Amino acid sequence: MFKIIANRLVGPKIYEIIIKADKLIEQPQPGQFFNLKVNKLKSKDPFLRRPFSVFDFNPVSQQLTFVYRVVGRGTEILSSFKVGDSLDLLGPLGKGFTLPENKKSLHLIGGGIGIAPLYYLARVLADQQQLSIYLGAETKTELNFFQQKFSELKCSIKLTAMAEKLDFKGTALQLWLKNLPANKADFIYVCGPEKMLLAVEKEALARNIDGELSVEKRMGCGIGICLSCSCQSVESPLTRKRACIEGPVFKLGEVELDE
Amino acid sequence: MNKQQSATDLTEKIDLATVLKAKNGSHLKLKNPLITASGTCGNGHELAKFFDLNQLGAFTTKGITLQAQPGNKTPRIAESAAGIINSIGLENPGVDQFIAKKLPETAQYNLPILANISGYQADDFVNIAIKLAEQKEISGLEVNLSCPNIKGGGMIFGTDPENVFQITRKIKQVYPGYIIVKLTPNITDITTTALAAEEAGADAVALINTLSAMKIDIEKQKPLLANTYGGLSGPAIKPIAVKMVYQSYQKLTIPIIGLGGICSGSDVIEFLLAGATAVGLGSINLREPAAALRILAEIKDYLKKHQLNKLSSLIGAAHQ
Ligand SMILES: Cc1cc2nc3c(=O)[nH]c(=O)nc-3n(C[C@H](O)[C@H](O)[C@H](O)COP(=O)(O)OP(=O)(O)OC[C@H]3O[C@@H](n4cnc5c(N)ncnc54)[C@H](O)[C@@H]3O)c2cc1C
Ligand SMILES: Cc1cc2nc3c(=O)[nH]c(=O)nc-3n(C[C@H](O)[C@H](O)[C@H](O)COP(=O)(O)O)c2cc1C
Ligand code: FES
Repeated sequence: MFKIIANRLVGPKIYEIIIKADKLIEQPQPGQFFNLKVNKLKSKDPFLRRPFSVFDFNPVSQQLTFVYRVVGRGTEILSSFKVGDSLDLLGPLGKGFTLPENKKSLHLIGGGIGIAPLYYLARVLADQQQLSIYLGAETKTELNFFQQKFSELKCSIKLTAMAEKLDFKGTALQLWLKNLPANKADFIYVCGPEKMLLAVEKEALARNIDGELSVEKRMGCGIGICLSCSCQSVESPLTRKRACIEGPVFKLGEVELDE
Repeated sequence: MNKQQSATDLTEKIDLATVLKAKNGSHLKLKNPLITASGTCGNGHELAKFFDLNQLGAFTTKGITLQAQPGNKTPRIAESAAGIINSIGLENPGVDQFIAKKLPETAQYNLPILANISGYQADDFVNIAIKLAEQKEISGLEVNLSCPNIKGGGMIFGTDPENVFQITRKIKQVYPGYIIVKLTPNITDITTTALAAEEAGADAVALINTLSAMKIDIEKQKPLLANTYGGLSGPAIKPIAVKMVYQSYQKLTIPIIGLGGICSGSDVIEFLLAGATAVGLGSINLREPAAALRILAEIKDYLKKHQLNKLSSLIGAAHQ
């Protein structure tokens, strides 16, 4: 059990929850996730844990942060946890992003709440690598918190929304493509809705740009025992990859994505 | 002797062992009644990160089919009140790859391995059983009859007593080891199929598998699972499972492995009282990977509280 230090609203239905992670056995890597029990007292309903990517981790203060959007029963309950309450979490789980050593220009492309795992990645990479961040959402208010956090790092950041013009008006993919001629990418990291992952992957592969993406599959266990999160590898339908073990981060072109 | 010592002594005197009797006398002895349920425990090493697997009574593999199966499309899992609905679709590498790759891994642990087998026609079960009969690491077969009979128009094997009888008998002819027939609850009277399994020579029955169910995504206005239908498991189905174990106990002479929604020591006790000789832990492993250890401790607490030193004395006790 871990103590909650903060759980506050930071955008429309978006919360930041900070946990005192003093009992973690392993330090999380960017792109890894935790599986959170969202019950109060001894309730077994909802039954399954909920997966959330690491938004940030500070090994000195031992603070572990998630940023989540309230979308249903579990996240609703999570948002009602108070400072001082205990939280049961399993992790770090899954395979995170590969941290490249001698790539020159790295692009991070995030859509909606899919921006969350990219922040920890950016924070870990920002001092050694040249980072360009492209973030998109429906509205500007969804981006405010992320904009503030990323702007504290050494990186260039561009924003877009569907509903209003920021640096651009449209999707994160469109924003990225518009800037690509002037700002070449050696390697990209993508996270967002599956439709967006598919679209970005297609454009990147067509340009021979290498990279990784993080998928959001519905999970049963998060630890590889139930096969709920099974992805079909591009090689063959019979080669399966579990998003919770072999993922959630995959190479571009590694697994089949759905519209 | 100090207090702490006497408490330990009492715990050590508690006998959690249970025996799954066999027709031919080669009983399956378990050090305790907890068996991981098929499809909810991976291949062993995943759970072994959370606790010493050797603490379990036995381990059941994911369903094995003759040929490799990719499984269903995702989403494969949905939630309902205190339950989950899954449609994994028997994703597995097929019996040959199971023997070559998976079995050696699971066999590292020092506990009986039950191989859960599935088929789409009667011959599939027979052919898998022939191959598994040569594997001495396997202590028995658990025959999953909750799958559609392709040649029989897609009807679920386990819903027809005659089918249950025929398949069990065919497997019995080629497999000399322990045979457990796992029954589907999607039937009016489960004792008809339980009796059919017993008459055909099954050593034990396991009940229940998941209940047929579905969920509709009201935003998309479409079924949530890619496969439309799935199987309901978890706490939501426990009372149904307890009833089915209780009913079957009244008619059968072979042992019953009870499962469905078990999450605690009290749940296990309830199944034992209803007539189960051993129990399966399924969905709980998804929520709490080390649940088995907690449950074992809770069982011991119950026995201590009731001043019982043998778990087996509880089996079927609710019928007296
Ligand atoms: C590896 C991974 C990392 C994630 N990281 C984040 C994050 O950092 N921030 C964030 O806000 N969300 C994240 N998600 C999505 C998050 O897990 C879901 O939004 C959440 O589980 C919804 O729960 P609910 O009870 O509110 O919704 P319900 O719809 O009531 O949930 C019902 C079931 O569906 C599952 N589910 C529903 N939506 C999703 C979804 N989009 N992806 C996966 N499972 C879903 C739930 O886990 C639950 O089992 C991540 C998902 C995965 C797989
Ligand atoms: C994700 C999942 C996968 C399952 N796979 C199998 C399987 O391959 N073969 C089988 O006989 N039963 C399978 N089952 C059924 C369980 O073994 C068990 O009978 C059922 O879930 C009821 O127990 P529970 O409520 O404790 O989960 C599966 C259940 C779940 C939840
Ligand atoms: S969520 Fe259970 S195997 Fe990945």
